[in-house]
Amino acid sequence: MSIELKNVSKKFGEVAAVNSVNFSVKEGELMALLGPSGGGKTTVLRMIAGLEVPTEGDIFIRGKRVNDISVRKRNIGFVFQNYALFKNMNVFKNIAFGLKIKKWKRADIEARVTELLKLLGLDGLERRYPHQLSGGQRQRVAIARALASKPGVLLLDEPFGAVDAKIRQELREWLVHLHKDLNVTTLFVTHDQEEAMEVSDRIVIFSKGNLEQIGAPREVYEQPVNEFVARFIGVMNVLEVEVRKGVGRVNELEFPAPTQPDGTRLRIGFRPYAVQVSPDLALYRYRAVLRRTYFLGIMLRLELELPSGLTLRSRITKEEYALLGLRDGMNLSLQIRTYRVLAREGGSLPPELQTAYEHPPTIAEHI
Amino acid sequence: MAGTIQSNLKARRTASRRGTEEPAFVKWTLITIGLAFALLFLLVPLVNVFYQALEKGVRFYLAALTEPDSWSAIRLTLIIAAISVPLNVVFGLAAAWAIAKFEFRGKAILITLIDLPFAVSPVVSGLVFVLLFGMQGYFGQWLDDHNIKIIFAVPGMVMATIFVTFPFVARELIPVMQATGSEQEQAALTLGASGWQTFWHVTLPSVKWGLLYGVILCNARAMGEFGAVSVVSGKIAGQTQTMPLRVEELYNSSKLSGGTAAFAVASLLALLALFTLGVKTWVEWKTRRNYELAQRAEANFQSQI
Amino acid sequence: MKQIGVIENWATQPAERRAPAPRDPANNCVDLEPDAASSMNGFPERSVGEMFAAPNKAAGLLILLTLACLAGGLPRNSSAAERSILNVSYDPTRELYQDYNVAFVNYWKGKADQLITIKQSHGGSGKQARAVIDGLEADVVTFALAYDIDVLATRARLLPANWQTRLPNNSSPYTSTIVLLVRKGNPKGIKDWDDLARPGVSVITPNPKTSGGARWNYLAAYGYELKRSNGDEAKARAFLKAIFKNVPVLDTGARGATTTFVQRGIGDVLIAWENEALSSVAEDGKGKFEIIIPSISILAEPPVAVVDKFAKRHGTEAIAKAYLEHLYSEEGQEIAARNHYRPRLESVAQKHAAEFPQLKLFTIDELFGGWQKAQTTHFDDGGTFDEIYQGSR
Repeated sequence: MSIELKNVSKKFGEVAAVNSVNFSVKEGELMALLGPSGGGKTTVLRMIAGLEVPTEGDIFIRGKRVNDISVRKRNIGFVFQNYALFKNMNVFKNIAFGLKIKKWKRADIEARVTELLKLLGLDGLERRYPHQLSGGQRQRVAIARALASKPGVLLLDEPFGAVDAKIRQELREWLVHLHKDLNVTTLFVTHDQEEAMEVSDRIVIFSKGNLEQIGAPREVYEQPVNEFVARFIGVMNVLEVEVRKGVGRVNELEFPAPTQPDGTRLRIGFRPYAVQVSPDLALYRYRAVLRRTYFLGIMLRLELELPSGLTLRSRITKEEYALLGLRDGMNLSLQIRTYRVLAREGGSLPPELQTAYEHPPTIAEHI
Repeated sequence: MAGTIQSNLKARRTASRRGTEEPAFVKWTLITIGLAFALLFLLVPLVNVFYQALEKGVRFYLAALTEPDSWSAIRLTLIIAAISVPLNVVFGLAAAWAIAKFEFRGKAILITLIDLPFAVSPVVSGLVFVLLFGMQGYFGQWLDDHNIKIIFAVPGMVMATIFVTFPFVARELIPVMQATGSEQEQAALTLGASGWQTFWHVTLPSVKWGLLYGVILCNARAMGEFGAVSVVSGKIAGQTQTMPLRVEELYNSSKLSGGTAAFAVASLLALLALFTLGVKTWVEWKTRRNYELAQRAEANFQSQI
Repeated sequence: MKQIGVIENWATQPAERRAPAPRDPANNCVDLEPDAASSMNGFPERSVGEMFAAPNKAAGLLILLTLACLAGGLPRNSSAAERSILNVSYDPTRELYQDYNVAFVNYWKGKADQLITIKQSHGGSGKQARAVIDGLEADVVTFALAYDIDVLATRARLLPANWQTRLPNNSSPYTSTIVLLVRKGNPKGIKDWDDLARPGVSVITPNPKTSGGARWNYLAAYGYELKRSNGDEAKARAFLKAIFKNVPVLDTGARGATTTFVQRGIGDVLIAWENEALSSVAEDGKGKFEIIIPSISILAEPPVAVVDKFAKRHGTEAIAKAYLEHLYSEEGQEIAARNHYRPRLESVAQKHAAEFPQLKLFTIDELFGGWQKAQTTHFDDGGTFDEIYQGSR
């Protein structure tokens, strides 16, 4: 394990920023700490770096407990959100700073800086001062500076937060490649779920100081442990149902729940792609009107209104939309192909509910 | 059509100008008053200092400056500044650092305390030290028993000077340090720098212009202070007289040449003022230029992308 | 890359400097511009210059120079070989003691074969007394009036209460009196004290609270009215009130008041020490001022004393004593007379008789019962002066 956190908590005065967090990062892994702002993810990153001291719990880097080791000696590379480049030093000196502090030989420093300039595509910029660089260049200098003394771990705080949306996409791919080339354990903080999904091997999701879920992007998308994760990663239809006679109901929608006693309230969640529609009113069990269509590139989002007034979101491809000949205002039939029972934020479910439910019965099946 | 629109626009523009701007005569009256005041109350006295100082010729001027008691006053002034300015630099850095980078109980009190010397009359500042260290003061008996002289000696004068120049460095540094934030320092820490290395390589360079500015103002005040120093000096000619005190003494002398000699010493203080103004302007220009360069470079890159 | 040469830091760098050059130790000192290549090693020492570039280095040099100056020029009086005494005095005696100090240093060199220096400090008599009480270590004090020395004895026990008996003539080696100085041609027609109370006459006199001279001025005018009205205190108070109504500025010391009148040209008449008036006429005058001798005035006896406590501490008792005694010698008296103080020694007095006209003089003991009493009745807080001055505003 490259990094390991055991029951780590952090309080700022009376305010708990991080509550008893446990997770580990494998050697060479690229991991995202994801969550809304104020979720505690940056605090976790800063505790790993040694810029904050945990109130409780232990942090290990490469098997060694580092709680009492100062930030100077942890051999980590840290990239700040606004890069924190030394304004009074040019690019060369910024990158060389850590090496000079560590008393590298002059020739070695020069070789290392030159290597990094090349690796990060900064050749020719070594004499520039930070204010003479573009946002993307600044970020690369910050990364080069963090990497200079070959740290065991690279930590990045919102690395793409301060650059334009246009360049952000480029930088993401670039980071993936850089990580592949260097194979250094990398942990970065982001509040952008798309960014986390795209870049990282695994994602740790935080909310209000709690670790909500940890897993590969696909895993957290398809199997969110609770409503918070479900809503935070992508779009999800969430409904609250009440169980009566083994069936959870909300308006006209019914979800089988044979094990639950009467009166139980459950949260049901399903992704828009799980909502299937057809102009053939006889095909699926429920009726709905197509209120509005949103174009999202190759995918389309449909806003569907059920007779009871309930609104659901669906997502289909452009081709399917054309094939079905859909139009706004059309009457459709629909079914919910798969759904999950969701725990409330911060909670988890009894094991019997932790599965995805496939294919609720269609009208045809009923008959 | 186009013509009417044009004239319409023009009319509206002049109308709006009339709405927001004062008539020309108000503008020129204000400028004249401002300039006349500056000329009358600032420039004329300054020129007069040099005129009076050189009234009896350069030889007399130099003789007046090298006369033992005046020379001693010049030296003492330099000594006091050389002690109090560095101490206030250290204090100013520490205080500004604490205020800009930490949250602590009593921060508001510290900020207020730093400003205290600005609010207190210099005479009172001086008397405070007499009340503390004078023979009738709280520590007077003890100091007298141990034969330690503070009041009416250089230590007391240094203390009074430090007191009145206390705010200059800190006041200049606090906003600069607050604007810089602490990320650069944290970055240096993550790169393995010690606290001292961080301060020396990162913090100090980023505040150097603010610091220089503060030092210049602090020095000008340290050399020019009259009120507080006068109270604790004892005015012993050739021993505890600083330049401003010497000027007063010479001016009060009934000897015919006294006034000219007074102005000779005063001219040094005026030169110090001019030097201070020069450096101040240069520092301001430099900071502004750095800023503009940064802006221009930024714009350059925006256009290149 | 090249087109970015517009940025100044770049443009001013010589091309050959940009390429990493082999380290040149000499280069480190001269090269004030930050230069990545040459500052690569020796990092800690180097970066002092790198962030405090040229101008700051100059400032550093200045500080070093100042410190060097400092080391070479610490106050000289600390050397043990050279004895030094401090004479804390009042304002108008500055020139008197400048002359006398030169003479005494010579005298002492001949007598004791010892080279000494004498330091002077001048200010309002009352203020100076306060400074000595607060610890200004005077070996001798030469004040405007006995009360200011009494205070040293009563409040701080710096010398015995009977100090005034230790030297002849009530410890006053010279005397003076209070006269009136007017502008050339005496445009306001001032002849005597009663003219000062006339409306429209602007009178300059310092503040009796801080200045000894001012107290003499006050008592002289008060005594005049007291004599004229056969001891009617109420009339005397009313008279003083009328005079202070005419005072536009209260300086803190006699010398400040003289400067106000002579150099700043404020006021029609200055109530002054005779010595101040005479030296003003002699030095600045060129006929610009005239001295008016009033019909009657006060005999001012500025006293001198050794401050035993400090002289003992400094080991200068003998010098301090001789310093004051020599004031009574022919040489001392001659210097006093030359500085317009009335000498005590008959031989010297006769020589300067022309300069010091005879006038009727009363003493403080005779009219006011001595300084202690005069001080409490007139000048302490809530005394007659406060009453008069507040009433006259």
